[in-house]
Amino acid sequence: MTKTSLLRTLVNIEWAGLLGVVILAVVIMAFASPAFLSTYNQYVLMRDVAITLLVALSQLVVLAIGQMNLSLGMIGGLVVVITGGLMEVWHVPVPLSVLIGVIVGTACGLLNGFIIVRSGINSFIVTIATSSVFLGINYGMTEAVPFYNLTPEFKAFGQARWGSFPPILIVTIIVTILIAIFFARTIPGRQILAVGGNLLASQTSGVPVGRTVMMAHAISGAIAAVAGILLMARLGQAQPTIGQNWLLPSFAAPIIGGVALSGGSVTIMGTVLAALLIAIIQDALVLLNADPYYVQFLLGVLILAAVGFDRLAKRQREA
Amino acid sequence: MNILTRIGQNWSRFGLFLIIVAFWIFFSSVSHAFLSDFNLFTMLRLASCMIVIGYAQMVVLSAGEMNLAVGAIGGLMSLFVGGLMEAAHVPSIPAVLICLVVSALVGMVNGLLVVGTGINSFVITLATANIFTGIMYITTKGNAFNFMPPDFIAFGKTRLFGLPISPLILVMLVVTVFLFFLYRNTALGREILAVGANRGAARMSGVRTSRVLVIVHTLSGFLAGVAAVMMTAMLASAVPATGTDWLLPSFVAPALGGTLISGGNVAVVGTLMGGLLLGTLNSGILMLEISNFWLQFFLGVILLLTIGLDRLRAIHAERAVVQ
Repeated sequence: MTKTSLLRTLVNIEWAGLLGVVILAVVIMAFASPAFLSTYNQYVLMRDVAITLLVALSQLVVLAIGQMNLSLGMIGGLVVVITGGLMEVWHVPVPLSVLIGVIVGTACGLLNGFIIVRSGINSFIVTIATSSVFLGINYGMTEAVPFYNLTPEFKAFGQARWGSFPPILIVTIIVTILIAIFFARTIPGRQILAVGGNLLASQTSGVPVGRTVMMAHAISGAIAAVAGILLMARLGQAQPTIGQNWLLPSFAAPIIGGVALSGGSVTIMGTVLAALLIAIIQDALVLLNADPYYVQFLLGVLILAAVGFDRLAKRQREA
Repeated sequence: MNILTRIGQNWSRFGLFLIIVAFWIFFSSVSHAFLSDFNLFTMLRLASCMIVIGYAQMVVLSAGEMNLAVGAIGGLMSLFVGGLMEAAHVPSIPAVLICLVVSALVGMVNGLLVVGTGINSFVITLATANIFTGIMYITTKGNAFNFMPPDFIAFGKTRLFGLPISPLILVMLVVTVFLFFLYRNTALGREILAVGANRGAARMSGVRTSRVLVIVHTLSGFLAGVAAVMMTAMLASAVPATGTDWLLPSFVAPALGGTLISGGNVAVVGTLMGGLLLGTLNSGILMLEISNFWLQFFLGVILLLTIGLDRLRAIHAERAVVQ
């Protein structure tokens, strides 16, 4: 393979540009701050990616059908207080608490999907309203008081460190691989993409549209639940406010990664790289002692730059 | 017969009106405080803010666009107007006017980005929302402005004619009349709706779609600025948290009133009633003496039921037409 054809192959891979940006960011940071490549900082970085990536995947599954889930953060928060409450108040064993938590998250997502399919109301409006419902149940039960006395082994898992590797990342890796296989190799996964790509065509070719939409929302709820539970383990406490700042990263990573809001296509690799890039930027601002307020500003600029770049690249490819 | 047909045609708004009346009867029967002078004053004042927040979203929705930055513009502009008056000692009237002009310009930035890049307005305004909020925090370091000129504070507190009527209600009504006139009687209003209904067809028939899109985003920014000034006067302080909870009212008020998210139609009076319902629920649920923490839950459930009810009505109406 000659050099030019290798370059051409790279240009044609959608996430190649993003990979370049991530590598560039790592190189710049390695020179700018010696602490960046330290074992501890690598650990912090991966710990952040573990949560950000799950939040992004939760949104990605719904984006794939051309819909949105604005309630994923509130699902995460509700699952956290239920799982935490089961551990602290009812002394339920960890695996059972976690299982119930994931079931609750799935049920919340299913409820979103059910209301959207049955009423025909836009997913955007439905999930804004259910956000309010989920947050209300959360606050109503806990009165905004966190659970601090979680099971010790559970906290130990969330805060463990193997060199530079955070064990919670294992869960994220497994979920990511499962989602990738789901979209690439399974019939329900392909059906989700079909519904997102062309609703009418998939309907006439026999895809059970209603069931597919509900399934996508249920999976979104389940992943949000896992994200909440991991974050709770990492923090060592069940904070009712968990999830309230997930909305932006949930959209930012898939959009920067190249997922279309109109549905029908997903790029897991792009989303992974985008989540990594977001984590690097947040980390870099901390290491460089920047005003924390710049994080939000830069994230906004980054989204604009990424989508603008993507638009340019598409024009180039078409030309 | 004639009246009945008209009610049928406007059932969406009429139904919402009935729901509001039902809630007023319910809340006032539960608690005498609901119709007290004080509660009416604060409730209508809050509802006025929610209505204008709803308008800020409604104008972009009518052109088939979205503005996720309504709340971010609101927060930025609240601190901007507060800073102008408190830190820069600009008198209140010029400060408000400057703030409204800047709000419109900020909205215009959204519009120019949408038109210039051709990227979905959802993505653009998601990004700019963070940029605006970032700018707000970077410039103020998260500090609030609590010492604004007395005449500005008085604007939020005054009662007109000795009745529980705030000047903020008048501001809201002026905006309502302006928007009603815009959509009902002007070529621009019809162009906006044409762009919202079918962008391609609108372009083919000679509508300058880019210009229309920039205008609606500018108008949206302006209305977010109006809401920010109203909110700042109401709270008598400019706090960075302003706007963080505007996402729900901005979309739900127009949606309750019958404005479609997909664009092409608009319901100004419907949005007014949607905002009034939100204000009613916010203050009424407090009267039920249930824990404050459950407020959010009931708000969500009632909204789902109301939106669902309206949907049911629409389905029945479609069936009636088919038969």
